[in-house]
Amino acid sequence: MGHDTAEWVFVGIVIAILFYVGVDSWIVQKEVEEVPADAEIVKVYGQQWFWSFEHADGTKEVNTLHLKQGHAYKFEIYGKDVMHSFNIPDYVVFEDVVPGHVNHAWFSPDQTGTFPIQCREYCGLLHYNMRGELVVEADKT
Amino acid sequence: MKKIIAVSIIALMAIALVPQLHFAFAQESKTGAKQYINLRAEVWNEFFRMTTAAFTVGAVVSGTMIWLVWRFRESHPKNKTPTRWEGMDDPTTGSYGEGH
Amino acid sequence: MVLELKKARPVWQIMFSTHHTDVGLLYTVTGLAFLFMAGVLALMIRTHLFFPGQNFLISDSVTFNRIFTVHGLTMLFLFALPVANGIGNYLVPIMVRYKDMAYPKLNAVAFWMNPIGGALLWLGFSDTSWVSYAPYSVIRAPGPAADMMIFGLKILGISSILSSINFIVTIIKCKHPDLPLRRVPLFAWSMLTVSLMTIIAMPTYAAALIMLLTDRLGVSGFFNPSLGGDPIAYLHLFWFTFHPEVYIFLLPAIGMMYELIPRFSRKPLYSQGSGVFAFVMLGIIGFASWGHHMYSTGMDFTTKVVFMIGTLAAVPASGMHVFNFLATMWGGRIRFAAPMKFAVGGIALFFSAGAGGVLNSAMPLDFISHGTYWVVGHMHLFLTGTIAFGFVGMVYYMFPFITGRMYSEKLANVHFILMLWGTVQVFFTQHLLGLAGMARRIYDYPPEYTSWVELNQIATVGAWILGAGFVAFLANLLYYSSKGKEANMDDPFGLGGKYYYPYQAKNPHHASGY
Repeated sequence: MGHDTAEWVFVGIVIAILFYVGVDSWIVQKEVEEVPADAEIVKVYGQQWFWSFEHADGTKEVNTLHLKQGHAYKFEIYGKDVMHSFNIPDYVVFEDVVPGHVNHAWFSPDQTGTFPIQCREYCGLLHYNMRGELVVEADKT
Repeated sequence: MKKIIAVSIIALMAIALVPQLHFAFAQESKTGAKQYINLRAEVWNEFFRMTTAAFTVGAVVSGTMIWLVWRFRESHPKNKTPTRWEGMDDPTTGSYGEGH
Repeated sequence: MVLELKKARPVWQIMFSTHHTDVGLLYTVTGLAFLFMAGVLALMIRTHLFFPGQNFLISDSVTFNRIFTVHGLTMLFLFALPVANGIGNYLVPIMVRYKDMAYPKLNAVAFWMNPIGGALLWLGFSDTSWVSYAPYSVIRAPGPAADMMIFGLKILGISSILSSINFIVTIIKCKHPDLPLRRVPLFAWSMLTVSLMTIIAMPTYAAALIMLLTDRLGVSGFFNPSLGGDPIAYLHLFWFTFHPEVYIFLLPAIGMMYELIPRFSRKPLYSQGSGVFAFVMLGIIGFASWGHHMYSTGMDFTTKVVFMIGTLAAVPASGMHVFNFLATMWGGRIRFAAPMKFAVGGIALFFSAGAGGVLNSAMPLDFISHGTYWVVGHMHLFLTGTIAFGFVGMVYYMFPFITGRMYSEKLANVHFILMLWGTVQVFFTQHLLGLAGMARRIYDYPPEYTSWVELNQIATVGAWILGAGFVAFLANLLYYSSKGKEANMDDPFGLGGKYYYPYQAKNPHHASGY
């Protein structure tokens, strides 16, 4: 049609922007997926319709999770019945609970206080109320 | 013309890559034993970089659209006379030569 | 030669006809009927979420879950696909200059599977959510609703495979010998692309549905971890079909814009070649990105990167369509009749939704967006903002050709303003709700999250505005199809060019002329 140049310039710009998006998210994802070696393991069990947690020392908790500020934690996420999604919105922790699989997520709380935990994958009747609480306490040691 | 396009694409890629450099250095300087990366800061910063890009492109695209709609509407004073393509058999196949 | 209401024909004659304009009319009317039914469900959901608290309008979560499931299934399978097929039935044979679809009886059979599938979905009223992820849909979802949904979707899937075969044969084998494939109008190209995609994508889901059914019957354990299966397998099968399906919903709307924009700009299309290229590219790359729905299921880094690249690779082709539209408008003399308004509004929202889609595909942002209202806002911005805008514009465009009368331009203006306003208000607000952390598909939210309450109320008011727009649409269709001014059938929109006249299609039921 004789006026392809403008279109190729346009496509070039689009590809350049996408290239930026791709590289940037590669770098960030690589960074956030690297679990620190000294992260403490917390087991998370999702089932209809509550969360239970098991700390490395064997303490068990239901729906409320107590963690210490400044430590790194690695979640091992187990599913018992259907799919759920373990989510702490304020700390951008998010990973699906898949029965038959063990999924992982990690984070290091930097602020004390209580933060909501919720389920982000539809899991039936009380999906809306599958809420827990994360309590981050100051590290006294 | 092709040279200009190639150069501008390379320049744009360079612009995209330069801001990434500080990541490499920032990571090296982080040697404190108990200093973990702040997951939420990393992800939200990424989000705001992406939205900045999206809204910049969006401003250009929607600006162009608003101007197009304003300038080439039928009722615009400069658009009183029919264009030279009007009345052609089928405008949807992109052939410019067959205007009647 | 259509003029359905001016020279009224008995309804049974249209219903048992196999002529492409009649089947097209049936498809379009059925699709629009389901649009309004599912729209009522959407308004119920939004109205319920206006207040936190459980007893407002929908008094239990099972009903709520069933409502959003049926809303989603209906909008996708009983509105988006049938309306695209309906407009395709009207125009594709005329565009390729053939007397009818290649297999007229198959065409009618494919249509009549839609009401049956729709009846199964609506009578069952399943609560699995439209994705019906295993193992919930296997071990927990109550029957017979979930089984009826499986059979309904199975029938609708077969219907869409049959109509795809019909479109492919019509376009490739039955087109006029003087018409090279690359000169076939782009709307027909979009139907060809989506038909090929359907043939490739749909059988996977058809298989997954049967596996889901046998799992539910307890005779197999494909997706049931307690029998050694894996739910992730279902997700792969599902999204292998339904990410391409996103393009199957989208491309006909883009094709309709290719029909509308050059006509109403009174200027030839900028580039037929790039339109064809972009369609084919989207058709291929659409299959390379299904995994971005599953970033959070425990996927490893490399797989995520592959699917992110596959997702981003589809963007330049979508951008080429937008470029093509804008370059066509540039230098034209645009008449902003209702179809053109909807087409241009659709492009603007297509860009917004696409930009949101790029953000979604960036791997780390999945932590923020996945499974929240961000995704709801994003995919509704595509479905309402682009697909429904394109379809509604096309329905206004076909209106005089079908009925022989003009719709009311004033009422169409009211519809356009309300629909654009409502779409922006609901779905942009839902993006913000997602950023605030609100999960999808929740029946209730805590009243102490005040930002959620506010944003939900803004979104709900937007939904009412959007709904009011569709009431104007319905009034326009119903009233002006029998009482409207008689249209000038040679040039109903005063554009001075020629159209693909559906009334020239030689319907055997019409004795002579129109």
